[in-house]
Amino acid sequence: MHDVSDDTQARNIPSGVRLLFVVGLLYLFLVGVKALETSINGFGSGFTEGVLEGVQNPVAGLFAGILVTVLVQSSSVSTSLIVAAVGNGTIPVELAVPMIMGANIGTTVTNTLASLGSMRRTNEFRRAFAGATMHDFFNLMAVAVFLPLELATKFLSTSATALAQFVTGTTDLSQISNPDSFIKTAVKAPISLIEGGIEAVVSSGRIQAAILLAVGLGCIFFALATITRNMRLVMAGRIERSLNAVLGKGGGLSAIVIGILITVSVQSSSITTSMLVPMVAAGVLTLRNAYPVTLGANVGTTVTALIASFAAERPEALVIALVHLLFNISGILGFYPIRWIRDIPVRMAEKLADIAVRNRVIVALYVAGTFVVLPLVGILVAQ
Amino acid sequence: MVLEFFRSGEDQLEALNAEVLDMLASCRHTFDAAINTVLGGTAPEAVGKDIRKTDRSINKAERRIRRALIVHASTRGAAADIGSILVLMSITKDIERVGDYAKNIWDLADNGVDMTTDDDVEQLRKQRDAVSRLITDASQIFSTQDVDAAHATIQAADDLMDEFDAEIAQLVTTDAPGSHAVPRALLYRYLKRITAHLMNVLSAVVMPVDRLDYYDEDKADRV
Repeated sequence: MHDVSDDTQARNIPSGVRLLFVVGLLYLFLVGVKALETSINGFGSGFTEGVLEGVQNPVAGLFAGILVTVLVQSSSVSTSLIVAAVGNGTIPVELAVPMIMGANIGTTVTNTLASLGSMRRTNEFRRAFAGATMHDFFNLMAVAVFLPLELATKFLSTSATALAQFVTGTTDLSQISNPDSFIKTAVKAPISLIEGGIEAVVSSGRIQAAILLAVGLGCIFFALATITRNMRLVMAGRIERSLNAVLGKGGGLSAIVIGILITVSVQSSSITTSMLVPMVAAGVLTLRNAYPVTLGANVGTTVTALIASFAAERPEALVIALVHLLFNISGILGFYPIRWIRDIPVRMAEKLADIAVRNRVIVALYVAGTFVVLPLVGILVAQ
Repeated sequence: MVLEFFRSGEDQLEALNAEVLDMLASCRHTFDAAINTVLGGTAPEAVGKDIRKTDRSINKAERRIRRALIVHASTRGAAADIGSILVLMSITKDIERVGDYAKNIWDLADNGVDMTTDDDVEQLRKQRDAVSRLITDASQIFSTQDVDAAHATIQAADDLMDEFDAEIAQLVTTDAPGSHAVPRALLYRYLKRITAHLMNVLSAVVMPVDRLDYYDEDKADRV
């Protein structure tokens, strides 16, 4: 738990030290991604085939993405896992696309849960629940439209590949998979040390891989959580000022950009969207002004997967990270400019909130159904 | 709007404290303008529009501060300065009420009350000056968080409240005509309430949050 003195201390840290600390945490995050990637190889080909079989069906991949994100309560973590799995060739890009889309849906559970805090006050809860679930509906709508389109045309993966070629300045992506690059070399060094340490105490290859997997996950969780906590304190003044500006001047493109900036700075879309919930609940921020900030959060959160791709062995990791980015940008371009389309998720959320305040059981059914039961059943049926 | 994110600047609570000082400055402006329609010979219609406009700006500032406090609490989470949030929520309400009572004083003049030629006008003007000065002192003390000055000013304000109470008690039993007693009783009541609300603002400097409105009660009822 933080208190004001924590805040003061965070502000008193010289910016150079703070920058070094965050760089150190980003390095730890990349080490975690690399550890994951390496550990998956350690499980052997049977494991890879099992994972492949599990997500062969795009619907199963989508639901797996939702479920994993709900379990880890962070799309940054789940997309980093996907990037690591794509980065070592366990999952091909086309099978990872639905998983990335699932992560987008799964991440919305956090602010939906945050809205439940207002449950005792009807009007407040109506606004809070609508404010949280409009994010759900937008992301569900984006998946409903863009997943079939991607399966039919591969427009996201093709565009992401072209973009990866453009940003890396090469038409042959295998060229950017340079094992001797500075970041990859820097990230590999501690992995060799950790592997050596594990091998010294455990002989079984699978147990070694399991320990490395746990180390990787631990590094990712710790690094992301600490970056988020630290940056939230450090950026609080800027976030406060920019959200006050959203209250004063309304939504639109600027609010989308503010959503992106806040999310990139705190490395968590859940933090951004959960911050909005009490403001919407209190009635100081309208649903329609909060909405573009939420869409910005969708885009901002993709930066974590992009960073994770720096540690990955294969160029496909960058491609899937760019798919995540392009998918969220497509959502905004596809649904935001035209008012009646833009309003669909908001109106659906308002309708659901109206039903929810009349019958609170609906809330439990909605949350459990959308984020747990449906993905579980979906995975079982799809397989 | 986006530039707000990149602008380094003062802490948001400091900005809100500055807004509280602006509200108090507006209150003094409204009070002075309003009471001079009763005691200073200013025509009510000459200042009515300005008083209402300033009062609306005070009300808007109160709402703006409340919104900003919700943003502060939402963005900071557990690191939010709960004490400041509660203090600002409470005293902005008090300051807004000062604006309302000033408007009520103007309403007296608008209804035809004019005390400029009455025998007790000099005494009333002294009391007017004391309340007007109290608004400025409250602002100054809130700004500097000077605890000693707050205690001294609260004591002086408490004495002023006793004075207003005594005047009201005397007016209740006076044989003077209603056209003399009623406007005075109302004016003293408004002055007393303004003083009490300013004491609440001052109590934010010296009292823990749970006792913020301590001075709002009569002396016998303060616990």
